[in-house]
Amino acid sequence: MVLTMQRYVSIFLTFARACLVRDMTFRANFLLECVTSLGWMSMNLAFYLLIFTFTSEIGRNTGWSKEPFFAFVATGLIINSIVQALFMPSAEELTEMVRTGGLDAVLVQPLDAQFMLSMHRIDFSSFANGLVGVGLLGWAVSRMDHVPSLVAWLLYPLLILCGVVILYSLIIMLAAATIFLGRNQSLYDFWFYLTNFSRYPAEIYSGPWGGPLRMLCTFVIPILLVVNVPARAIAMPLSGEAWGLIAATLIAASASLVISRLVFQAALAKYRSASS
Amino acid sequence: MHNSNRGGAVDTDGAAVITVDSLAKEYRVYDKPEGLLASVTGLFHRTSRLVEALRGVSLTVGRGEFVALLGPNGAGKTTFLKLLSGIITPSRGTAHVLGHVPWERADDFRRRFALVMGQRNQLWWDLPAAESFRLHKEIYRIEPARFERTRDELVDLLGVRKLMLQPVRELSLGERMKLELVAALLHEPEVLFLDEPTIGLDVVAQHTIHGFLKAVQAERRVTVVLTTHYMKDVAALCERVVVITHGSILHDGPLSEIVDRFTTHKIVTLDLDATPSPGQMERFGFPCEIRGPRVTLRIDRTRIADVLPEILRSESVRDVSVEDVPLEEIVATLFRAGAAPPMAEATA
Repeated sequence: MVLTMQRYVSIFLTFARACLVRDMTFRANFLLECVTSLGWMSMNLAFYLLIFTFTSEIGRNTGWSKEPFFAFVATGLIINSIVQALFMPSAEELTEMVRTGGLDAVLVQPLDAQFMLSMHRIDFSSFANGLVGVGLLGWAVSRMDHVPSLVAWLLYPLLILCGVVILYSLIIMLAAATIFLGRNQSLYDFWFYLTNFSRYPAEIYSGPWGGPLRMLCTFVIPILLVVNVPARAIAMPLSGEAWGLIAATLIAASASLVISRLVFQAALAKYRSASS
Repeated sequence: MHNSNRGGAVDTDGAAVITVDSLAKEYRVYDKPEGLLASVTGLFHRTSRLVEALRGVSLTVGRGEFVALLGPNGAGKTTFLKLLSGIITPSRGTAHVLGHVPWERADDFRRRFALVMGQRNQLWWDLPAAESFRLHKEIYRIEPARFERTRDELVDLLGVRKLMLQPVRELSLGERMKLELVAALLHEPEVLFLDEPTIGLDVVAQHTIHGFLKAVQAERRVTVVLTTHYMKDVAALCERVVVITHGSILHDGPLSEIVDRFTTHKIVTLDLDATPSPGQMERFGFPCEIRGPRVTLRIDRTRIADVLPEILRSESVRDVSVEDVPLEEIVATLFRAGAAPPMAEATA
């Protein structure tokens, strides 16, 4: 088991090294990607700052005042940058691999196909947003009235990991759909629509439509747990409700991983390949 | 059709490496009717067909054999290789390669074979092949010393040492294919599946690859199954030929047997002293071509021993050559004489 883990870490580092070498080969492209990504993020941050010139809190009595909300945004940036850097490029490439038969070469290698297909391309430029997220988190936490406890700081990386696992599982299931359908070019669009729900505090989903939507996005497709739970752990006191959500996040992450694995295996068994 | 011809298997080392029994693969394909209205209708109601890519094929391949799979486009050759390498699962039948069921995709099995597809690039496109080799080393758990020794041997054999450090996208097709072969053989596979490895290559590259494959197969006792459309590949490399048409095996045996079994004629070319008069040569055989004093005749194999002395007696012959019908021609005839068309049933 340890040897297997060592081997997979070693292969991942080889992928990472090769991707870095490739990125450095096309330096202008790499820098442009960083600038585009940072530009998009800056516009979003400016938009949120604009909102806080009109209001002091997102929702009434939700606790999401300016600094806690920016801790929320920072958490989202960190999680999304990890997912965008490690998994999204490979998932996007999978669509083409299924359509052209490039997946064949992966299936003949003595390696877990899910590992290979979800981690062979790494987009280092996406880590730029994550680094800004870490800075933003530091800024927001230092200005918050609430001081996070040691337990909250210990839980935070674990919950970030859970968020990444939930998003990764969603990507894997969307990628599996590519194998079933033979072509799924809307993968990235669908991903964007789904993850859009995770970018705002869960409290905004209230009322006759918002309530059921919140339940759906918490317990069926646990997308609302991804950013909300780690952000709440760091930005607000750990109340009884918070512990319940933390437990739900741990369960959701484990269940998502298992279900996505089963779906992916079923998809691979149905793979038809493409004509040569 | 179940084909039980296994007579061609030559178990050179006393062990069957590949055994296939009644292997079949069917695909359901959906018709895409032409036109906008038909496309919109197709969203709600589609017609499909069952295509039999492989129809109950059986064969055995012994260790160290070099087997060619020949067949026209769509005959089922690549499907067969994909089944043997575990990429797809069959509809019916069984297969064992190196004692494993391929589509169970056991790591122990996948470490012991390699697949090279001439029409697909398996190296990292933007990086030098050396980077792909390094990844290969990790994936196949090749010991560093063994990796370096094998890599150096292979690149020297193909003369591509300098190309290892050049980005793959900057290489010619022939150079790329040579490096693909190096990558495929780094982990010293016992079985090598080659799907049209010389497609699109010039004669020099083809010749180099022939020499390389011969050397590797002889030295390492690798079992090779090759699909190709080039008879030069077959003639240079393979003793055994399996002809597949419409998903069934039409012939399985030595290459020489194809000539004996499927040709009734020999081609005799004569250089005469003068241009023959019309009808002068027809008594000996069918004149395929008469160009001045050079005459090409198609003569029945059973009559050749009688006809040739008669020609030499009655005509002024400066030079004569007797050849078999070109392999390409024999195989084309074989392909045309294939089994029934692949459509099995249609459903709405």
